[in-house]
Amino acid sequence: MPAPSTIRDPSLAAEGERKIEWVALHAHILNSLQRSHLNDGALRGRRIAMAIHLEAKTAHLAWLLHEAGATVAVTGSNPWSTQDDVAAALARRGLEVHALHGADPAAFDEHLLRTLDTRPDLILDDGAELVARLHEKRRDLLAGVRGASEETTSGVLRLAAMEREGALAIPVIAANNARCKQMFDNRYGTGQSTLTAILSATNLLLAGKTTVVVSYGWCGRGLAAYARGFGARVVVVEIDPIKALEAVADGFEVMSLAEAAPVGDFFITATGSIKVVRREHFERMKDGAVLANAGNFAHELDIPALQQLAGEEREVRPHITEYVLRNGRRLHLLAHGALVNIAAADGHPVEVMDMSFSVQALSLHFLAGHARELKPGVHPLPEEIDTAIARARLELLGVKLEKPTPEQEAYRQSWR
Amino acid sequence: MPKSIIKDPALAPEGQRKIRWVEQHAPVLNAIFKKYLADGTLRDVPVGVCIPLEAKTAYLSLLLHRAGARVALAGTAPGYVQDDVAAGVAAEGVTVFAEADASAEGFAAHLNRVIETGPVLLVDDRAEFTRLLHTTQKNHQGKVWGATEQTTSGVTTLRNMEREGLLAYPVIAGNDALCKHLFDNRYGTGQSVFTALLALTNLYFGGKTVVLAGYGWCGKGLARRAAGLNARVVVSEVDPVRALEAVTDGYTVMPLLEAARLGDFFITSTGTNAVLRREHFERMKDGAILANAGGVDVEIDVPALEVLAKEKREVRRHITEYRLADGRRLHLLCQGRLVNIAGGDGHPIEIMDLSFAVQALAIYHLARNRGKLKPGVHPLPVEIDREIARIKLETLGVSIDSLTPEQQDFLRRWQ
Repeated sequence: MPAPSTIRDPSLAAEGERKIEWVALHAHILNSLQRSHLNDGALRGRRIAMAIHLEAKTAHLAWLLHEAGATVAVTGSNPWSTQDDVAAALARRGLEVHALHGADPAAFDEHLLRTLDTRPDLILDDGAELVARLHEKRRDLLAGVRGASEETTSGVLRLAAMEREGALAIPVIAANNARCKQMFDNRYGTGQSTLTAILSATNLLLAGKTTVVVSYGWCGRGLAAYARGFGARVVVVEIDPIKALEAVADGFEVMSLAEAAPVGDFFITATGSIKVVRREHFERMKDGAVLANAGNFAHELDIPALQQLAGEEREVRPHITEYVLRNGRRLHLLAHGALVNIAAADGHPVEVMDMSFSVQALSLHFLAGHARELKPGVHPLPEEIDTAIARARLELLGVKLEKPTPEQEAYRQSWR
Repeated sequence: MPKSIIKDPALAPEGQRKIRWVEQHAPVLNAIFKKYLADGTLRDVPVGVCIPLEAKTAYLSLLLHRAGARVALAGTAPGYVQDDVAAGVAAEGVTVFAEADASAEGFAAHLNRVIETGPVLLVDDRAEFTRLLHTTQKNHQGKVWGATEQTTSGVTTLRNMEREGLLAYPVIAGNDALCKHLFDNRYGTGQSVFTALLALTNLYFGGKTVVLAGYGWCGKGLARRAAGLNARVVVSEVDPVRALEAVTDGYTVMPLLEAARLGDFFITSTGTNAVLRREHFERMKDGAILANAGGVDVEIDVPALEVLAKEKREVRRHITEYRLADGRRLHLLCQGRLVNIAGGDGHPIEIMDLSFAVQALAIYHLARNRGKLKPGVHPLPVEIDREIARIKLETLGVSIDSLTPEQQDFLRRWQ
């Protein structure tokens, strides 16, 4: 029996159930992997600790791991993304949950530690929140942990730093770097969900508007493609000459942010950097410009600088803060600069997270069987697991692949 | 004027906040107000407005009110009323009869209340007022100077009435103005239907098959935006020219019965009834999503779905799941009502700025030309249409060319 859960209100479980069921209906790959891989016994008796944005899609993943025979303890990776009804539903289903929406930093830390105290042998992490605490505050549990799997770019960066300093004592799979994760989640997931969140939040028209996409990584590529799909005139801003050239070749206008500032109607950042849009840009923007962030952290837009520039600020619609500059121009910031698709909407589409979480599920499944063979450090997801996920999705879609002929295979192997 | 009937006056500040946001993004209406509406033509003129009641339509009503008209307002159906906006526009002095949770009878009563205020000019939607004024409210018909109609389906109704010799006053087909249907029906529907549908379902669109019933202006906009969201687009049509247009635009065209098996999403925008019906439901995939983007709420045959289904429940907000006898689940959005209005905030503001510029100037035109137009359906004069586009381009800072005298001369020659 699990220890008692820390949740807001057990009576919210029914609503949480309804949300998880909607996800279960559309998580085709995870559901098929459950039959083909997860339930093969590798996860039976394993103790898994998960830290992840606790909403319906992640809850479904936790449930499938539980169904595969693991003992699963779940906490949220960010107190503001935790949905209390979903947490209640998971607890009612018999999982141990420690998560409260809006928990203060001390309580948040406490929830992470309590999750670690379930003595996991496998960890599913987001932002390296559990793994970092394991190394700092629960060293006695380190020996029992076989390995971990990391969901985010920022977590992978943090783990790489630990590895560089010789501090990382367990093997960790960089699930974020799998192709089935970043090519779909970061690109199409961000593209669709960010644009629809911005348009729902503002009720403004995108067709014919100039949309400035700051950065052309996987997220930026998706944002630019979907903005074009809504009829926008897309301007891309880059610091990397190759990515800039790729944007030009994709048919987008590329310019410096200083040049783009006075022409943009919408600005969307996805850089992973800080203070990308700052005072010198705010000062040149048009009246009514809309500012949104699709990157991981809220500091891509220099909000303190905006507050300094503005004579007044007020909420003009849900999720929209209006800053009135001293010259009378109004700038509209969405979701306080936080990830707009999560803070102002339901986040990525279900099927995209189905792929990302298939990566996570198989990453844990792999660790359960092979962690002992891996040295401490950051490892890629094995290529064959990545392709197996894509193959499973294609099969579900009824899409058939070509096979190379023996002659082609021989040609590929030859060098003469 | 009688007292407003609204859900809760205390909601007014939130409604007013929504209306201010619209005001900030409605440069065309604001320019037209200064240049035309405020010149006294509409002072003390009773105007009835029937329209999906949210911030943009509230703002149109508010401008007519500020122009001096005595405005009475009703929603087009209970699902299309936002109570905070109703309270907000009432607080600004417009007479409002609208409640989001009104019954069908309550809604009909609201429309009748507007007519009983004695409007001489009508901003109509789906010909609701005109239908009443030609049936149960005939005694109020005589004082009407004219009306303007917002929707394709309403114009169809009015033309039917005209053909039967019934239409008693002039109606401007606001919907048919270029500045309305080229933008509202096409780009407005295109953007807002998908943002609503994707927000409601939280589903991914790329690689999915979306079946569009109807390739009118709405269908064209839906197809283009669906393609922009990386969907595979299938179009069903009854008109061979439009079907050919869809093929030429690069979409797959097939009968709805064939498409029924393929679609992940079905969106209707035909203006007719029972487009998706039993024979289609029976063939659809498990999990298919059904949404209506057309002006009438009967494009999806919901009663047939009810008969077919073994059980029914709400699986997410605005999503009703119908479980068929063989276990397949069909998901109906917003009970078959216009998904972008019932499940979202409706068209983008700048689009409605154009549409309502058409409606406002149609009302203005009817007021200036009182008694000069014959009963029947009239187009919006083309110079008004052009004036609206000109103002919009000005607000965008876009300049255009004009013909040289030589070119003008060339175009006039025939030899």
